[in-house]
This record gives sequence, C-alpha cells and structure tokens, in this order.
Amino acid sequence: MYHYLEEELDQLKTKVIKMGSLVEEQIDFAMRSLFESNFELAKIVIERDAKVDKYDIKIDKICQRIFALTQPVAVDLRLIMSALKINNDLERIGDIAVNIAERTEPLKDHIELLENMGLLEMAGKVKIIINKTIDSFVNNDHELALGIIRSDDVIDNMEKDIFYRLIAKMEKDPASINPCAHCITLLRHFERLADHATNIAEEVVFLVDAKIIKHRKDLGNLDVKPEEII
Amino acid sequence: MSIHSIKIEVSELNLFYGKIQALKNISIGIESNKITALIGPSGCGKSTFLRTLNRMNDLINDVKITGKVLIDGKDIYSKKTDVVDLRRNVGMVFQKSNPFPKSVFDNVAYGPRINGIHKKEWLDDIVETSLKRAAIWDEVKDRLSDNAAGLSGGQQQRVCIARALAVNPGLILMDEPASALDPISTSKIEELIFTLKKEITIVIVTHNMQQAARVSDNTAYFLNGEMVEYGTTRKIFTEPKDERTQNYITGKFG
Repeated sequence: MYHYLEEELDQLKTKVIKMGSLVEEQIDFAMRSLFESNFELAKIVIERDAKVDKYDIKIDKICQRIFALTQPVAVDLRLIMSALKINNDLERIGDIAVNIAERTEPLKDHIELLENMGLLEMAGKVKIIINKTIDSFVNNDHELALGIIRSDDVIDNMEKDIFYRLIAKMEKDPASINPCAHCITLLRHFERLADHATNIAEEVVFLVDAKIIKHRKDLGNLDVKPEEII
Repeated sequence: MSIHSIKIEVSELNLFYGKIQALKNISIGIESNKITALIGPSGCGKSTFLRTLNRMNDLINDVKITGKVLIDGKDIYSKKTDVVDLRRNVGMVFQKSNPFPKSVFDNVAYGPRINGIHKKEWLDDIVETSLKRAAIWDEVKDRLSDNAAGLSGGQQQRVCIARALAVNPGLILMDEPASALDPISTSKIEELIFTLKKEITIVIVTHNMQQAARVSDNTAYFLNGEMVEYGTTRKIFTEPKDERTQNYITGKFG
C-alpha cells in the first residue's frame, strides 16, 4: 500500500531526526558538564540515555515492520537501510555522551589542564561535526555530508597532537598522570564521535546519491568538491 | 484485537463436501472496518471459508455445514435468514472480473433496480456515488452507456466493485480480486480496498502474501482446512507463533 509505505517512511525519518536532535543535545550537555564541572547536566545526560535507547529500539522495529509488510525499492529502500545504520551510530554517540559526562567528577579540578592540552578546542569542533551531521541527514545534503567526512582528518590529527602533548606532560609532571590518563580516554571518545559522524555522513551520501563511499579515499568520485567544515 | 467491534463471529465451523472435510472447527472473530486477509496454499480451505460467509456454498450439492456464523450478531444459517438479503449485505468480488454484458451504468444499477429503485435521478445518483467510491468514476463517466466488457481488466474489476457497493453492503468478500491484473491496476485496487475500509468490512482471499502484508490489518493462515494462526498482520509477518505459518510466509513450504 503506497500510502501506508509513505506514512511509515515519514514516521521513520521523523524518529531518526528526533533521535538525532536528542543525541546532539546529549553531546552538548556532556561537553558542558565536563568543561563547566556541572554535575546537574552530567546527571541529566546519564539518566536520559534510556530515552536514546528507546529510540534505538523503536527505529529498529519500524524498519523491521516496513521490510516485512512492504517491498521497498530504490530511494525508499535506501532510506530504511541508512536509517538502520544511522540509528546504530546515534545510539553509540549517545553512549559516548554518557562516558564523557562520567568524567566530570574525576576531572572537576583539572579544567585548566583540559583547556591547555587542547581538549576544549577539540570538543568544540566535534560538537560542530555532530551538529552538521544531523543537519545533513535532515536536509538530504550530500555536499555537507562529504564536508563532514573530509573533516575527520582534522580531528584525527588533533587527536595525535593532543596525545603526544599529554604524554609529554605526564613525563614532565608525574603528579598529572591521573588526570592525563582520563584525558587520553576522553581524547579517544572525541575521536570516536567524529568517526560515528563520518559513518552517518556516508549513509547520507548513500541515501541521496545511491553511492557507497565508505572505505574509499576518493569519496566515490562524486561531482562535488567538499570543503572541511571545521 | 478485542478493543474493536466484531462484525463476523464464526464458531466451531465445519464444512464437508460429501465425505471430505474442507473446514475443520474454525473459530474466528472478524473485526468491523478492518481488512482481514485469508492466506494459505491452494486447497487449504480459505476460499471455501470465504464462501460460507454469504452462503455461496449453498449452491453446491452435498455440502454439510455445522457450527455458527454470526454477522452483526445474526445467525446467517438460521432458517429465518433470507439469503437474498444476506447477499445484499455481504457483497462479493471474484478473481476474474465478471461484468454483465450490459452498459457500465446498467451493471452498477442492476442491484438497486432489483431492489425496486427505478427513479432515474436516484439511479443516476447511486451509479455516480458507487463508481466514485470504487475510484473509477473519472475513467468511465463519459462512457456510462458503453458495454462494460470493453473496459480494461482493472477497470472491469473496479466496476464490479462499484456494482457490489451500489446496494450498500456492510461487508465485501474478495476472492483474489487482483490476481489477474497488472501491477498498476493491482495497486489501484489495493488503494481502493484501503479507502473502502473506512465504510465497510473487507475479507480478502489472496495467494499473494505481499498483497496480504500490504493491505490487511489482520491475517488468518489456513492449512488443510484448519485455521493455523490468526492475528494482526504486523504480528503474523514479523513474529508468527506457529512454525507452519513461519514456513509458509517465508516461502519454505510447498
């Protein structure tokens, strides 16, 4: 039934967008809780993860239902396939938000260290990436999606730099080993956030252009020249 | 399913063609204003079951039926039941479209005329409304006096649906209504079925499982005269309880 399929696809897209917005806010709250030592926000993030998980299950169920009851093809099929994968990445981003929020307590006396080592700057960039990633899905914006993918290198390079900075700091000042170790974990979380964003952006390109660009350095030779977005 | 009202209540229905038992102890409640699909392999009894709902099996010799079929609470096999009245309330659409060799207008006006409506304005109104309800008015409004046999297969089928609707049935039985049609005509019929359920209850027999999945709210799976499983179409097609249902809908059967 075509009406039925349209309604289901609308519902699916809406749910993914809502989940995306929630996850975006989770990241925003988690970063603020960390850098402002705001325990209230950290608590909200940790408690609200259950809501993210509910979206995860709901989206899986909608996809299962659409596959079972209709025979989606072409762009409809791609939407369902990409929704399933994007759902997965959003759920992981949600988990990482919780992990970041949980560092608020052990790092509450080391905000300056976070800033000096470059983690605040990196967090800002990661937030932009997450934000733009959701936008690219909402607006079917493949150019923006490619820009996000391109920007992943910036994050990877930042990760490397900060990592060596932290090692140097620990060598020089053994008293800082404890907070620096937490920073290394955070660094890993930030880098993973950008990876999940990249995965989502690749799905947006698949959805819009029907091209599979993951694992390809040439980004599928698409006829656009993406700029880094950060 | 219990929150919706039940249009047809069948209990412990058995049907024998001579010594052969074609339906075995069927009990099912069919909901009002829903589309119920009957699926199952050939010879499973789904069409036979459909025909018990407007007593079409009465026309076959040597048929014996036990059990109860209540439509709107009335026992349709009671001696008091007027079969003509019953079939007015329970319309039927067949696999092969079967328009009368008459004009489109006369096809649709046939039922109302039999029921004593002869005033031209009334018939005009009924024919137009019925053809609109069957989503074919725009295609035939300038050809009402043409022979219905000259229409395409899909159009003929929708005229037959309009003919069934013209006597305002509360229930329509459809036996493979789209199996002889191309995909576009099929989707028009499916669209139509979907729209009609706002007003009437529909029971549809189909060999096409995807069609059952697409159009129906509830699905009953028949096998060897038994009703193996009955539930919402979503449940049946995502988590069937019975292994036989699972085997059939996944194509591992037969």
